[in-house]
Amino acid sequence: MKGSLIWRAQRYSSLIIFTYFIYVAYFIFSSDIMSFDIWTNFALSAQLKIATSLIFMLLLLHAFIGLWTVGTDYLTTRTLGFLNRSLGRKAKLLRSLYYLLFALMGLLYTAVIIYTLWL
Amino acid sequence: MSSNTLEVSMYRYNPEQDKFPYMKKYSIEKPARDIMVLDLLHLLKEGDDSISYRRSCREGVCGSDGMNINGKNGLACITPISSVIKKDKIELRPLPGLPVIRDLVVDMTQFYAQYEKIKPFLQNDTTAPEQERLQSPEDRAKLDGLYECILCACCSTSCPSFWWNPDKFVGPAALLQAYRFLADTRDLETQNRLEELSDPFSVYRCHGIMNCVSACPKSLNPNKAIGEIKSMLLSNKKQVIASDGVR
Repeated sequence: MKGSLIWRAQRYSSLIIFTYFIYVAYFIFSSDIMSFDIWTNFALSAQLKIATSLIFMLLLLHAFIGLWTVGTDYLTTRTLGFLNRSLGRKAKLLRSLYYLLFALMGLLYTAVIIYTLWL
Repeated sequence: MSSNTLEVSMYRYNPEQDKFPYMKKYSIEKPARDIMVLDLLHLLKEGDDSISYRRSCREGVCGSDGMNINGKNGLACITPISSVIKKDKIELRPLPGLPVIRDLVVDMTQFYAQYEKIKPFLQNDTTAPEQERLQSPEDRAKLDGLYECILCACCSTSCPSFWWNPDKFVGPAALLQAYRFLADTRDLETQNRLEELSDPFSVYRCHGIMNCVSACPKSLNPNKAIGEIKSMLLSNKKQVIASDGVR
């Protein structure tokens, strides 16, 4: 994978997420009257549900890139070896567990989004 | 301690004798005039000839005596003690992140391996002119702030990204040199050079911490060069090479 692709994915996803939240904030603050019904109609419209689903997937991608960077920076033989040599030797295993944990959290997160928005 | 005494705390490690490194304190009379840290080391070595450090030109050209002086990397030969002294104390350690051979001498193999990786030489397979490959003054000016690097490793060894991934991240010193050849209009291997640097670690592991800029004893800006390489990788412009070999 190219470094520039990862760089772009992280920056562009953050811009799109930012735009989405600005749009939602604009809806909330530009309405003279805000009620539960108005909010529900807005939030459960098909367009916004699709947009919200995409945004949360982008958030997942954005977070994964960030956490992958953290993992490859700080869960390495050298970094952990500074703390403890035997811990350093287990860096690869610890990094795999860290990614597994994040993958499981990502799956749970996706399930929650699908359940909340579409079921 | 009287104010006329200077306390030097120095990292000592001799793998043939010591199980672990340790800090050794030396007290020395304050020199009458402001001297360089390297001169201070010479004075200490007169009293303890087991102290090991690298030095050669003693004027900031060879880059041999890079070390960590009171927490900041620098060249001992061009660092006046007055600029680093804190409460009459100076702490000297080897460059961080590299294996210590002895005392202040580090093994720079990994650093040079990264330097070698960027192919630090002009690549141009067109027929060489009789005298030299000419550049316009504007093109030559693009190399200013790049070619002056003396490879002292002060920048790379102050970079956390290089500490954590010295085998994957090229590091600021070698990236400064990589850009020196990418910016050189006489070099024709721009695309291949960029391809070599396009993975997620070689360049993109730079997070813009800028320790390299702060540490560089020649006041160069590796961070700016890395930014330029990132821009080239992102735009990925194909270089148009004319038949005479000039871009």
